Amino acid sequence: MSVATATGLAATVDVAHEASVRRIGGRIDGADLRVVIGAPLRLAIFAGREPARLAAARAAALGACADVVATFVADARVSFVDLAATLRDARPDAVLVVAGAGDPGGVIDLVEALRGGCAGQPQPPALLVVADEPVRARIARSAAPLRVEAIAGRSGAQAHDAIVGRLREIRRGGEDVVLRDEAIESAARCLAGATARITLVVDVSGASTSLVLATESSVVLAAHTRLGVGSGADRIVARAGLERVRRWIPRAIDAPALLERVFNRARWPDAIPPSALTLAIEMSLAREAIAQLLREAERAGLAVGSLRGAAAIVCTGELARFPRPAQTVIATIDAIGPLGTLLVSRERPDALVAAGALGSRSSETVGVTVEPLALVATLWPRRPTSVTVTDGTGTVEERVARGALFLVKTSGPVELATGGASERATADALALGVVVDARGRPLELPLRDAERLPALGRWYAALATLPSEGVAS
Amino acid sequence: MSWRYGDQTAVHGLPIGATQRAAVGDAVRAGDVIAAGTTCGSSVRIAAARTLGVAPQDLGRVMRVPPGAEVERGAIIARTGRRFARAVSAPFEGRLVHVRADGDLEFAPIVDRWSVRATLDGLVTASTEASITVVGRAWALQGVAGYGPDAIGELAVAVDGPGDELPPSRVDVRQRDRILVGGGRSGPEAIARAHACGVAAVVAGAVPAAGLRVMYGDDVSAHGDPTRGDVPTVLCLLGFGSGPLPVSIFAPLVALAGARASIHTASARLFAFAPPDACAVDLRMPALALVADWAAVRPLDWPAALSGEIAFPSEIAAPAVGTPDGPIPAANVLPFSADRG
Repeated sequence: MSVATATGLAATVDVAHEASVRRIGGRIDGADLRVVIGAPLRLAIFAGREPARLAAARAAALGACADVVATFVADARVSFVDLAATLRDARPDAVLVVAGAGDPGGVIDLVEALRGGCAGQPQPPALLVVADEPVRARIARSAAPLRVEAIAGRSGAQAHDAIVGRLREIRRGGEDVVLRDEAIESAARCLAGATARITLVVDVSGASTSLVLATESSVVLAAHTRLGVGSGADRIVARAGLERVRRWIPRAIDAPALLERVFNRARWPDAIPPSALTLAIEMSLAREAIAQLLREAERAGLAVGSLRGAAAIVCTGELARFPRPAQTVIATIDAIGPLGTLLVSRERPDALVAAGALGSRSSETVGVTVEPLALVATLWPRRPTSVTVTDGTGTVEERVARGALFLVKTSGPVELATGGASERATADALALGVVVDARGRPLELPLRDAERLPALGRWYAALATLPSEGVAS
Repeated sequence: MSWRYGDQTAVHGLPIGATQRAAVGDAVRAGDVIAAGTTCGSSVRIAAARTLGVAPQDLGRVMRVPPGAEVERGAIIARTGRRFARAVSAPFEGRLVHVRADGDLEFAPIVDRWSVRATLDGLVTASTEASITVVGRAWALQGVAGYGPDAIGELAVAVDGPGDELPPSRVDVRQRDRILVGGGRSGPEAIARAHACGVAAVVAGAVPAAGLRVMYGDDVSAHGDPTRGDVPTVLCLLGFGSGPLPVSIFAPLVALAGARASIHTASARLFAFAPPDACAVDLRMPALALVADWAAVRPLDWPAALSGEIAFPSEIAAPAVGTPDGPIPAANVLPFSADRG
């Protein structure tokens, strides 16, 4: 599906991976743009007592793909020494202060502890302060010799954008590069604009995961984190827990054996999964990276529900490079838990990221090509219903009961009607077909291996997800 | 990642509360205390400038003890006036940990003391409240991840071969203060026993990741976990699970046995202090391969030969390297010295 045409841009883009670079474009002598993950940014958050301030700070951290290494609220009942020691050990590169008129006392206690803990560091952290002028002035007086930067922006959205912009600047480290998260946001805007659909771009790379929801005119929600299926894999285990990763693997594997593999993968840049087991581990890591990002976005007060209502999901990065389309589709729908009917597509290797990078530097329309994989219909019928799929070979009607997950393979343009609804979803030729998912939301996995493995085995088999030796063997 | 003799730099992070530290230009030996300080309990806030009736910025002028000083209970911390004096005194024996911008003081009791030791023989090139940098010449071996506190001791080989696992039965109190070389794998039982016997550290090709979780907690990562607590020091040289050491790595370890050595966990490096000619290093380092479904790292003791693109059981088609155990993806084979993130 080509959703736009390049007009005058023929730039070459280098897209960086964990240890390698893929060049998209015609030049062989060099690239016009470089897309990188960016330097890790360790961020500490000092928030006012209102929960909204903490949520705003967390949302900004997610927007800028910053690692939050310490979070304190203004009324934290922690001693000065403990605060200073925690901040020293956290080694923040920057500290984001979001405070209101009633918070200066508590925030100044935190800033004093920061000064006590970090002022002697070779590169002390910068303080980015979102507060009214009088509060900011008081904070600045307490912070010296630490550098205080006022974040401009009257509205919450303006301040959010200003924080994200500043943090990204730090991550770029003064280099002329496009950050991967910037490119993904730009790509989502391009796609939504070209298709006139609310589009969710899901990017899972080796070192980062992004969720970007865009409408024709703007990015509605953007969350990025340094969790990934490669060097960020051990962080998924640390944050989400090993059991959450293990539960998605459709064969018995004990926790120590899984942890070994995750740790080795985390220290092996651009490793390839040679077996069905390692591929299943990578799929499982991708699911949990997305799910953990969703949980963090929810905690930051972002409208996660809107992601589940997107009309189209486009997968990029490692998530888009699984060998079978079914692998991309099932990992995505398991993690996102979409509602209604939607189209799942994937990028050609790095093409969307490169196009997004170009789009972020130009007002020209950028050509983007994605591969439609499946129309996914999510149902939870009270009584058995039916779906009607019409494609180039004719019409098929399938009954749907609660708990079902099945695939209707298609060829050529597809039309899907669910139950008695008059509305029909259409799509061009799909690589996989129509996936009917009546497993319910939220998707719940049985806790015991004896029940979970057969359930996963059925789901994987329904979509012919893994090579035969890997399914519930 | 291979053995190298030359100038090394080690940055030693300091906890808060340093009371003394080595100055720039000081010559130090590995194991020397380069900084010492106090661990403080919960602090109390003393209204100093307001009590004395001075502006916060003038407080420094009337203070009788500098920030960081340890004082007895009742000792005068700051004082103004002569005949009608106003003074701020220590409410208990403790330490003046911080002077706030508003002229208040943070004063805390001392609950413990700490010291930081150098991991290199050399010169102090930077000394701040947060870190001390030492530069010196040593043999160095880069690992993939270090865990626990820095360690200093005599290097000792505790296994018979480069692929052997360190058995707990080979560890006893006679190895106290030594850095044990544990071959291709050291399990948590052997490491815990070594720690209990006073062994300074264990160096191994690989350590089971689950064992690291047992020793360092559930949030331990594959990227190391330098800590200061009373926990074992472990240096993983190749990876996790099992990782037989290449002969070109193991042989110098054997040759350097008996030498003073140290582990700098923050940078995951082993330093050995011996003359440049103490051992011969084979510059032809084998490539490393991530094998056995990612559960182990193996040195390829033969030249890695590309065998074209093949489809693996995962159905991923990629260039492959032939091995006696079958082809593995070329991406899963890296030069020994490759940067692994």
